[in-house]
Amino acid sequence: MENLPFYQSHGSEIELFERAWRNNLPLLIKGPTGCGKTRFVAHMAAKLCLPLHTVACHDDLTAADLVGRHLIVDGQTVWSDGPLTRAVREGGICYLDEVVEARKDTTVVLHPLADDRRILPIDRTGEILAAPPSFMLVVSYNPGYQNFLKGMKPSTRQRFISLAFDFPSATQEVAILIGETGIDEMLAKRLVSIANAFRALKDHDLEEVASTRLLVYAATLIKDGCEPVLACRAALVETLTDDPETAVALREVIDATFGL
Amino acid sequence: MEEYVGELWHKLVTRVADKQHAEAAVSLDEMSKTAAIFFRALGGDAGLNLSAAPSTRHGARRSWRDRLATTGERIELCWRDGETLRLPEKIDIFTERSLNRDLYLWLVALSAANVDDSLPWIVRNQKATQVTLERFPGLVARYHRLVNTLLPLRPLPTSLPAAEAAQEAAIRQALIQPGSIHVLPPSKKLFQPVLLWTHPSPPMSAKNKVSTSDGAPEREQSEDKNGVKSRKKHAAERTDMPDGKDGFLMMFRAESLFSWTEYINVNRPQDEEDDVESAALAAEDMDTMTIARDGETSVAKLRFDLDLPPAGEDDAPLGEGIPLPEWDYKKQIMQPDYCRLQELVSQQAEPCELPAQLRRTARRLRSQFQALAPTRTWLKRQQDGEEIDLDAWVLQEADLLSGKHSDSRGMYRAQVNQQRDLACLLLADLSLSTDAYASDHARVIDVIRDSLYLFSEALSATGDRFAMYGFSSLKRGNVRFNRLKSFDDRYDGLARGRIQAIKPGYYTRMGAAIRQASALLAAQPQRQRLLLLLTDGKPNDLDRYEGRYGIEDTRMALHEARQLGLRPFCVTIDREANEYLPHLFGAGGFAVIRKPEDLPKELPLLYAQMTR
Repeated sequence: MENLPFYQSHGSEIELFERAWRNNLPLLIKGPTGCGKTRFVAHMAAKLCLPLHTVACHDDLTAADLVGRHLIVDGQTVWSDGPLTRAVREGGICYLDEVVEARKDTTVVLHPLADDRRILPIDRTGEILAAPPSFMLVVSYNPGYQNFLKGMKPSTRQRFISLAFDFPSATQEVAILIGETGIDEMLAKRLVSIANAFRALKDHDLEEVASTRLLVYAATLIKDGCEPVLACRAALVETLTDDPETAVALREVIDATFGL
Repeated sequence: MEEYVGELWHKLVTRVADKQHAEAAVSLDEMSKTAAIFFRALGGDAGLNLSAAPSTRHGARRSWRDRLATTGERIELCWRDGETLRLPEKIDIFTERSLNRDLYLWLVALSAANVDDSLPWIVRNQKATQVTLERFPGLVARYHRLVNTLLPLRPLPTSLPAAEAAQEAAIRQALIQPGSIHVLPPSKKLFQPVLLWTHPSPPMSAKNKVSTSDGAPEREQSEDKNGVKSRKKHAAERTDMPDGKDGFLMMFRAESLFSWTEYINVNRPQDEEDDVESAALAAEDMDTMTIARDGETSVAKLRFDLDLPPAGEDDAPLGEGIPLPEWDYKKQIMQPDYCRLQELVSQQAEPCELPAQLRRTARRLRSQFQALAPTRTWLKRQQDGEEIDLDAWVLQEADLLSGKHSDSRGMYRAQVNQQRDLACLLLADLSLSTDAYASDHARVIDVIRDSLYLFSEALSATGDRFAMYGFSSLKRGNVRFNRLKSFDDRYDGLARGRIQAIKPGYYTRMGAAIRQASALLAAQPQRQRLLLLLTDGKPNDLDRYEGRYGIEDTRMALHEARQLGLRPFCVTIDREANEYLPHLFGAGGFAVIRKPEDLPKELPLLYAQMTR
């Protein structure tokens, strides 16, 4: 238990996760990039002492990549479980990160697992796996990306209970930075103030805003002895924009916070 | 000879009196983008425009050199209202460039601070300073550097009469220690303007109305007699106020009144009085009165239609007109059926061929676009293909080994070109502003016409489904939506004829046109749907559809389009577009073509990049 990944709770999400797990309900987590979705799942898996199988979904992800495939070994074909099948067998958590990136037909294999049947039929071996009570399916996606080609099918979506994540409040974000990196409070506050200034630029000057993860990066650099202004430029400004003029303005915000 | 000597004298004294430092000057042009983003990052309202402040007469004591040279009488101060953040056009009061630049950023930071507007001017500025410094501690050093450099430029209290000295001392104290002064001591003569602070209230001189850049007919303003009366009354009230409490504020009121009267005397349009129609117009426009910052004065605006094409003779309306809603950002409500949009089709259009001068480019574009490789996909389990389908083979082997019957499925993977699944609607701005000359030999409308031609040539080569419409408007009741080619029309001589027949006229009610275009595009079955807007300026129309109102309605219309699953993109030749397009289309949602004459060539290429 002492090795729990650090996670700063910001509401009732831990309680909800536990309830979902106890009652065999699959969970969908949505929120912007770098706001702590993956960390939350890792934290909960450790807390509930469950093995965690994470799959980062991409647009070429097929059902076979999730369920498993036959491999040829010494002229023989050997069935090899995919991460989803392994999680079902072990009774752990299967976490599909950025699930909308996967092809639409891929997500259909989740359907029998995600409703009250809780089974995983494997066509290729003819096996039908029944999920043990400790198995839990968790998927996440980032609704911010304007990728209208890849919405989630309602039939998939309506099998999950959903949890919306957003960037934490200023005080919580300060606590996260301190908890993650151990920088002093004053610095953490200033970093959060910069992040919130940048977040005001969303959809207007920046396509993506500064995530908590980027702030943690900046704080890590500072903790390592890096000059704060330099750390923020590297971790925040140059990561967020390629436009030179926007970068100048963002640097001004950093200078305004840390001084010259 | 006398003139010559006079000129020399003027040159000499202005040089002596000129406190500015041209070599260290920082202009708003070079700062505008940085300043705008900085303003928004610090919490400023994202809908505000940034523009240069007009100079204002400050009425304070000037040095004998200044008085001799009649300089130092006017000053550009920073101020903000519901639509615009105004900054000095250039700052050159310090000898160091970096300090002048810092002053810009400081003014922006100060304007972004959220402070109660009803506070007295001196308290409000101190409060804003405190709030800003607290939130951005990095500005503290910069602020003190600015104050320390500024104070020697201000008159010494010891050199002034007692009342002014007290005032000056209070201002100095407020600058050095923000929050320490609660009342400005009264004085008859006005103090030197404080360059580190924002202007007490927007000066209401007619010069503030910067003419719109889109070349629409110049707007004229007039004030009815009642308005004048109420203003005077208002001024009288102000003078009656206990003297000294708010001396600075009062001064600016009187000042603005003065410039107003000046304005009416000089610029009143002659034909307005006897024109019956304009009287009716004035009455109708009463709802477009601008409410000044304090809500006590109002100005009715009258604008005239100039040089419009003969009304509606060339275009046959199709149907009765479509009611469309419009967004009112002030009330934050959608006004249903607020506009009426008329789909029109040109009657004069005669089938024609592509203009000769475009044929070469068109041929090249066609071949380029035919080669535009659509996306490729692998098809599995093919009887024939480039690679072995390992999955299929393994499956078959497994079936064989387990004794199952194996149907002879293909065991190859094949690469095929997938069909492009794309629809595009091009919406072109045909307002009167396109009548302006874009280059030495072509008007904007000609550039748009050529763009439409080449765009259609390119798209018909790809086989993508596309439609083209033009739009203009004359108030909310008459939004004109010219059909050039619908999705179902073929791109043929008639479509070319309609493109040939486009002509500039009226105004730019963007929101309604975008809503109608979105509806047409959303009805298309394609997966990817692109709404391409071709324009040369901001949304504007005769009624209140201008400035922030127009921008916010357009923004709402684009938001609705995205909700429908469409992808809006704007191509513009307006060089100032960077000021408002990010607010409408987002950072990656528009392209500014610097040289309008390049538009015809650029547009198809942009399309190719977007849809690859």
